[in-house]
Amino acid sequence: MSQLKDVLKPGLARPLAVGGGVLAVIAALLPWVTYKFAQYGGDNYPAAASLQFFDAPFQLEGYRLHTLILGVVVVVVALAPVPARHRVLRALGWGLVAVGVINTVFAAVEGGGLGAVTAADGAIAFGGFACVVAGVLAILAGIAGGIEHVHVWRAKVATPVAYLVLLVSFVVLLLLVAMMLNAGGQGGVGNPYAGPIFLSLLGFLAGALGALHGVGLTGWISKLSDQHKVFSVAVLVLCALALPFTEAGTDYWMTTAANIGIYAATAIGLNIVVGLAGLLDLGYVAFLGIGAFVAANFSGAAAAAFGVELPFVLAAIIAAVVAGIFGAIVGSPTLRVRGDYLAIVTLAFGEIFKKAAQNNIGGLTGGANAIPNVPPINWFGQSFDKSLTIGSLELPSGVLYYVLIIVLVALVMVVFANLKNARIGRAWIAIREDEDAARAMGIKTGQAKILAFLIGATLAGLAGAVFAHKTSTVAYDSFQFIESVTLLAAVILGGMGSIPGAVLGAALLLVLPEKLREFSDYRLMLFGLALILIMRFRPQGLVPDRHRRAELADEGAEGVPIEELNVHDTPGGSTAVAR
Amino acid sequence: MTATPVLSASNVSMVFGGLTALSEVSLQLHEGQILGLIGPNGAGKTTFFNCLTGLYTPTRGTVTLRGRTLPSDPAAVTVAGIARTFQNIRLFPSMTALENVMVGRHSRMKQGPLASLFHGPAYRKGEADARARSLELLDFVGLTGLDDELARNLPYGDQRRLEIARALATDPAVLLLDEPTAGMNPQETEAARQLIFAIRETGVAVVVIEHDTKFIFSLCDHVSVLVQGQLLVEGAPEVVRGDPRVIEAYLGKPPDEVEAEVRQYAEEAGRPSAAESTMVIPPVRERDGGSEGGNR
Ligand SMILES: Nc1ncnc2c1ncn2[C@@H]1O[C@H](COP(=O)(O)OP(=O)(O)OP(=O)(O)O)[C@@H](O)[C@H]1O
Ligand SMILES: [Mg+2]
Repeated sequence: MSQLKDVLKPGLARPLAVGGGVLAVIAALLPWVTYKFAQYGGDNYPAAASLQFFDAPFQLEGYRLHTLILGVVVVVVALAPVPARHRVLRALGWGLVAVGVINTVFAAVEGGGLGAVTAADGAIAFGGFACVVAGVLAILAGIAGGIEHVHVWRAKVATPVAYLVLLVSFVVLLLLVAMMLNAGGQGGVGNPYAGPIFLSLLGFLAGALGALHGVGLTGWISKLSDQHKVFSVAVLVLCALALPFTEAGTDYWMTTAANIGIYAATAIGLNIVVGLAGLLDLGYVAFLGIGAFVAANFSGAAAAAFGVELPFVLAAIIAAVVAGIFGAIVGSPTLRVRGDYLAIVTLAFGEIFKKAAQNNIGGLTGGANAIPNVPPINWFGQSFDKSLTIGSLELPSGVLYYVLIIVLVALVMVVFANLKNARIGRAWIAIREDEDAARAMGIKTGQAKILAFLIGATLAGLAGAVFAHKTSTVAYDSFQFIESVTLLAAVILGGMGSIPGAVLGAALLLVLPEKLREFSDYRLMLFGLALILIMRFRPQGLVPDRHRRAELADEGAEGVPIEELNVHDTPGGSTAVAR
Repeated sequence: MTATPVLSASNVSMVFGGLTALSEVSLQLHEGQILGLIGPNGAGKTTFFNCLTGLYTPTRGTVTLRGRTLPSDPAAVTVAGIARTFQNIRLFPSMTALENVMVGRHSRMKQGPLASLFHGPAYRKGEADARARSLELLDFVGLTGLDDELARNLPYGDQRRLEIARALATDPAVLLLDEPTAGMNPQETEAARQLIFAIRETGVAVVVIEHDTKFIFSLCDHVSVLVQGQLLVEGAPEVVRGDPRVIEAYLGKPPDEVEAEVRQYAEEAGRPSAAESTMVIPPVRERDGGSEGGNR
């Protein structure tokens, strides 16, 4: 890296960036493939990939439109006075590289080799390569100019303006989510483009968001939302409730979104244990399972152990309490074991639960037959699995579950946030940071840790109750080790200790597999690769919590590189803090 | 000193496997006292603090605070009224300075999990009080305005001070400071000395471990010397300072050579030098190995 810096003089930054931007624009106008995807009904690879500019200059769409946008923005940023210019250029460059690589690789694989994306049968197509080169040029421009700290906006605005800004940002967020869910349609055999289109859009959005972050916009908005918490949460919930009315309001996406919600709620519960208290739990999905089985047994299903049908709310409370009790039991070894050993205890508990459920211990789980036909929730004569008609508007089926789960997620978020900003939350974080010092501050660490397990498990149990009714079949194999790992991955991917992080992590981990269906053979591999890359380049997670951000980032809290910060064990007095 | 001591350790011994880190150490701390604990590296000073605060369970001996025997549970000891800082700073590095001090308030806050969950009026009042007290303590130790800074981003000297503020937040009767000026420059050391005097003014008795003898002799009312796990000498600073056994054991130099240094220290600290004052060396209990040199 340092050699690279020696070669790249700061003076090169602007020419490199302009060159990269112009090249990206050219790339957008060049054809990207030399063939037609005949096997898919003769369509060109999405968005008229072999279209040439002079044929139809205004028909660029999809990834080529994204390339064009990124290219133009790179040129503008290179020439206009933009704060943190080189950081922005680097982000845009990575966006270009992602778009170029994803589409080129897919086209090459589908079209049978390099010829498909370069020159074959008298046709030429260097769009993808040009796009990648353009991206690399922009990244080099960023490095040459020296990456600045994230720009911080200190602008104060009046409350109505802040509300407006927040409203607009959340609505944009909603539209982006809908757009992402819809990009390329549902994955599957009938729709082979879904994966690459989705990934390419993700790359484009990541680049664009990175640029906005560098400029300081996202930081400013998150500061505004911190200042107007209640308003933000209300708008966010409203936006979530508006999703069914967008283009993503289909049965399929309602179901997927509801699943995401269940996992997000569970992940937030896990976040208390792992993110706040710092206790590694590898068997956490068992609590979701306990909640689901308890609810199923009180649901009046034919296979239920108890012949009673309790109202959903009551069953959910019982499920949460039972899961909580198990949480406290599993948490009790934390009094004696720490760290890796605790992880092994929790892992063993997860396995015990799975085996017990598989063998129908106590006749409570139905064993291999599961507990099928758990009736859907039914309130005021409206069954939750039917579609809902309000006036002339027919909403997709599953929308009621979706709404219920939005409420659940909101509830779990409030629990998490309130606990985190209280005496017990500080105690958890203190334990995570230094258990001995925490004890020396008068914290009864054993009690606090068991409480973390108890509360986390209770929340998972609650989510499990909804899960049971929504999926209607509760089987032991929904609660395997891999699910625990996925939940943990959601927490780590999103950012430990952070709520938006857990939701984003759960969403990504559930949406990606849906979108990448046609790559199902490689799904787990891609998934692992993504995790490794994130851990390497952004160990603090995608949306880090303030504490973690400082701990793991290569930047201090305000974007100051760590090497510049005072290292506290320098002897001989205090070095000034570089801030 | 009359009256019953605030803190009293009697015959505390600590054995690690074959190593006797402390043997039969007794010590008394009185109301309003600043007691210095000195001794060569590995003498057992930190181990003694750990025994006082319940981090270690002494092999033998008891510790009492205002006449009540302390359990060997750090949290309970803190609740009872002993607070400490650590030799190698142990703040909560990625919490802010204010949050660190508020963690110190933990045991003095009455806020159950349910109150935390619902954020009712009682919660809000408790939080506001804890916050106000913590900000006050940050002011007191001289960290005004740094409340929102992450602990790990603070300069070294400020981290030491933050640790003291955090300890004071537990409303202690006794404060144990383990090498509070290690790594500080002279100005910071002087500020730390003033701070410890100020802490004494608030009615907290203080025990200080320090290698900087000049600092100790100019600060403390009473000094105890620990060598190889045994209490070698104790008494007023002037007395201890001149004791040849201390000089030899602690400084590892022949007495004459040290005498000159001591005189210089004393002059700087504005106190009569040990050599000039007519001093009485208290009878020191004879101990084997007590006069051996430090293992520096
Ligand atoms: N947990 C432990 N297990 C085994 N030995 C220990 C333990 N703690 C301390 N010791 C030993 O006890 C002796 C006293 O150590 P201690 O840290 O108390 O010395 P100290 O007087 O604080 O020294 P320093 O001035 O270097 O801080 C040392 O030999 C140390 O190795
Ligand atoms: Mg020590």
